[in-house]
Amino acid sequence: MIRRLTLAALALLVLAGSSKGAGAQASTPGERLPVREVTLENGLRLLVLPRPGAPTVSFVVQYDVGSVQEHLGITGIAHVLEHLLFKGTTSVGTRNVAAERDLFGLMDAAQDTLVRARAREDSADAARLERRIAALEDSARTYVVPNEFDRILTRAGAQGLNATTTSEATTYFVELPSNRTELWFVLEGDRMAHPVFREFYTERSVVMEERRMRVETSPGGLLYEAHLAAAFNEHPYGVPVVGYMSDLQNLGRPQVEEYYRRFYAPNNAVVAIVGDVDPEQVVRWARTFFGGLPRGDEPPRVLAREPAQRGERRVEVLWDAEPSVRIGWHVPSGTHPDAPALALLSSLLTGGRTSRLYRRLVQQDRLATGVFSSLGPGDKYPQLFQLDASPRAPHTTVEVEEAIYEEIARLAEDGPHAAELTRVRNQIEAGQIRRLQSNLGLAFQLAQSSTLFGDWRATFRLSERLASVTPDDLRRVASAYLTAANRTVATLHRGGGS
Amino acid sequence: MKRAWSLTAFFLLAFGGGGAPALAQSAREIAESLDHAPIRFDAPVPELHEVSGVQVLFIEDRSVPLVDIFARFKGGYARLPRHDYAAATALPTLLRYGGTEILSPDSVDARLEYYALQTAFGSGGESIFSSLNTLTANLDAALDLWGSMLRYPAFDSAEVEGWRGRELEAVRRRPDDPQRLAFTEFNRLLFGDHPVGWEMDEGDLLPDRVSSQTLRDVRGRIVCPEHLLLGVSGDVSWQDMAPRLERLLEGWPPCTAPLPAPPIPDIREGGGVFVIPRTLEQSVLVMAHPTDVHLSEDPDYFAAQIGNTILGSGGFSSRLLSRVRTQEGYAYSAASLWTTPRKARGLIGAVTRTRPENAVPTLRLILEVMEEMRDAPPLDEEVRTSVDQIVNGFVFNFESPAQIVSRRMSFMAQDLPEDWLERYLAGVQAVTPASIHQVFLEHLRPEDMTILVVGDPDRMGPDALASLGPVTILEIPSGR
Repeated sequence: MIRRLTLAALALLVLAGSSKGAGAQASTPGERLPVREVTLENGLRLLVLPRPGAPTVSFVVQYDVGSVQEHLGITGIAHVLEHLLFKGTTSVGTRNVAAERDLFGLMDAAQDTLVRARAREDSADAARLERRIAALEDSARTYVVPNEFDRILTRAGAQGLNATTTSEATTYFVELPSNRTELWFVLEGDRMAHPVFREFYTERSVVMEERRMRVETSPGGLLYEAHLAAAFNEHPYGVPVVGYMSDLQNLGRPQVEEYYRRFYAPNNAVVAIVGDVDPEQVVRWARTFFGGLPRGDEPPRVLAREPAQRGERRVEVLWDAEPSVRIGWHVPSGTHPDAPALALLSSLLTGGRTSRLYRRLVQQDRLATGVFSSLGPGDKYPQLFQLDASPRAPHTTVEVEEAIYEEIARLAEDGPHAAELTRVRNQIEAGQIRRLQSNLGLAFQLAQSSTLFGDWRATFRLSERLASVTPDDLRRVASAYLTAANRTVATLHRGGGS
Repeated sequence: MKRAWSLTAFFLLAFGGGGAPALAQSAREIAESLDHAPIRFDAPVPELHEVSGVQVLFIEDRSVPLVDIFARFKGGYARLPRHDYAAATALPTLLRYGGTEILSPDSVDARLEYYALQTAFGSGGESIFSSLNTLTANLDAALDLWGSMLRYPAFDSAEVEGWRGRELEAVRRRPDDPQRLAFTEFNRLLFGDHPVGWEMDEGDLLPDRVSSQTLRDVRGRIVCPEHLLLGVSGDVSWQDMAPRLERLLEGWPPCTAPLPAPPIPDIREGGGVFVIPRTLEQSVLVMAHPTDVHLSEDPDYFAAQIGNTILGSGGFSSRLLSRVRTQEGYAYSAASLWTTPRKARGLIGAVTRTRPENAVPTLRLILEVMEEMRDAPPLDEEVRTSVDQIVNGFVFNFESPAQIVSRRMSFMAQDLPEDWLERYLAGVQAVTPASIHQVFLEHLRPEDMTILVVGDPDRMGPDALASLGPVTILEIPSGR
């Protein structure tokens, strides 16, 4: 019991100084945080948490859209759009937006013609059109103030200005000195309302280079992509966030503009602000700079459901690299009642040096250099319980797989020891608690909880949900989900490729 | 002890005054017209104490009942012969995982977990460091355990053997990642048989080089009080902390032998193009030549810092990323580097990745951007952007007492004055376009860049590559 108390004390400490007042009935320290929660009339959700400390503020804007809202032909579009939102607006990043737009029309028409030329395999015409688009973009560049959005924030002392796209969310973030809070509202409100997708065709090339770096020259990236594609036949979790190369090559600006209109409405966004701020002033700025954005239509939701898998699937990637293996079993979404048991199962199998698979594969049998597990690629829809491991020469992926399946069978048969369960609960909780130490980490957590569960407090109820998991629950989820027929295995072996 | 900071003057640098925002204005106009209230806050300043001959930086911080303790030992593989390279590299990991004279590795793990302690162990070529984060209530138990890990490590033979095996596998897998391969071979090419150029190989990992005994020997030369600098921040007074530190240090024997100074590198000069052939969809491009700007109060150092930000380390505001990525779409990332060691020579250069057909045009563009830094001073606007980021972002240096203490420790380890951060701030504000131009004229020689390419020379055009300098093919096996 002492261990549990130590962690509870840690949680209180991390949140100290800001845990008085709100939510007297709430049962966890996190739920008692004085988060000011406001939903504007246009549906934008705002979460503000003042915290004592240095005069800095973390800002997170999360849109409830990711690669799951894509289909073949436009894969990668959510991520391309994320890049384009750093290109400025009708006033930032331009000397003459009207002149730019005139040229956009010509470029986009040339892109349409280019796609048709490629369809009829007219490479000479395609090359001519590519040159025309590049020349038009060069002409438009005479009106562009490059990277001005970035430069304004950089000069203001911004740290970590960036964004990330996952399968189900697109998140923009930055940290600023607290006296630049209003500046952030001005620029972010403008970006929400008046983005201009300038330098589109050049940026598309940048994204293709990103794909070459993350996937096409990375054995791990190649294996991951092949694994998800094999595991998901119907659900878009099988589609890579960065998109397929052929889709990127043929993507046009109008498609991205349409996608933006559909998914970037204020009613599809959460803003989380944590740090040295006055919440009432922040709410006033939010009304001033975000309040005028028109509410959008309810964005279309993902209706695809992955059917039950009927038999093991295997996929092999040949590449000039040492072998590795990924195994994935279909499991329910992060909001399902079994999710806490699956999180504990993941920790129990691979969480640190005392975990079952680390002990067996790395320490005892020395079959592998490491073994890792996670739930993904998203949380919102039925997902995968994923394991990956790299064999240690001269051992093979076959030996690694056999040992993994043996340990899982043992767990499904005997269940975990009570002490083991306490240990992994503590590990998960301690990790959660320490993440709260950073303003940016907390802003992310509030935004994600709000996007996934519709409630920023839900993330803090995790410890209660973990505490209610029993050894029988773990045995049950291991038996129910980690079966041979429900798994997809991807292996990478030397051969072909580079 | 606190020092009151007033950054008023600094914040006025970035934006002038103006009226209240009105939505009829464009966002750009509003952004330019905003007034930014000055930031005032009290940044804690570490006290310097001495306990049993060891210097200790200390900040009392009662905001939460937690204590952070940092240890930094001067010494690392760069001060030892190649024979000890693997053991010195393994040292921090095995201090953490190898158990103590009275506790098995599992027992150490269990105690760390029982007390919810967080520890970290790491190293650079010239230092070993460790940190401990504990609830104040567990401070004694935490210090006992952490002290035992540092002073009485067992280097359990199974753990040592496990580390050796995993490292051997890492050596086998190194060529799988083209960027890792490029950096490894580039260091080897430039630094040769100097610690910076060393990369672990099977010879380093022979059993007689990595054993419980070799680890004990290496620990005895580095992890000893005369190399130690300590830092403490958190919920404890100095009166309460000092006797605890005395116990930690009591009877700690001195080093078994003095460490020699690190060898002076003889960095390759003279340019040339080196190619590691790989049939990949994207090439890795690295270039650099040696320079002689050192971390110091020399105005050249500050000019080099701001100049490098403008050239290519400043992200989207820098010239390399603007030209290579934003304008040409050649690469996802492109950055310059300018290392400025305290005494040894450093490097200036650049790194990027692009598809093979664009490799030579990208290399040419980078060299052209470098030439432009020599041809004319940067714009005032560019200098202001770089300086303003440092000045306006200065508050991020004071986010926590632990951050303040550990940063000051790193300054002390490099023999920098205690007010280095303030001197740095003043130094960068004194930089001018002319001083940047001068430092590039003096220290940047694009024609002398040693260029390394990992990629497909056939798709790059062998003739085009040769136009950049004499080409040498490096045959590096891709694996078994």
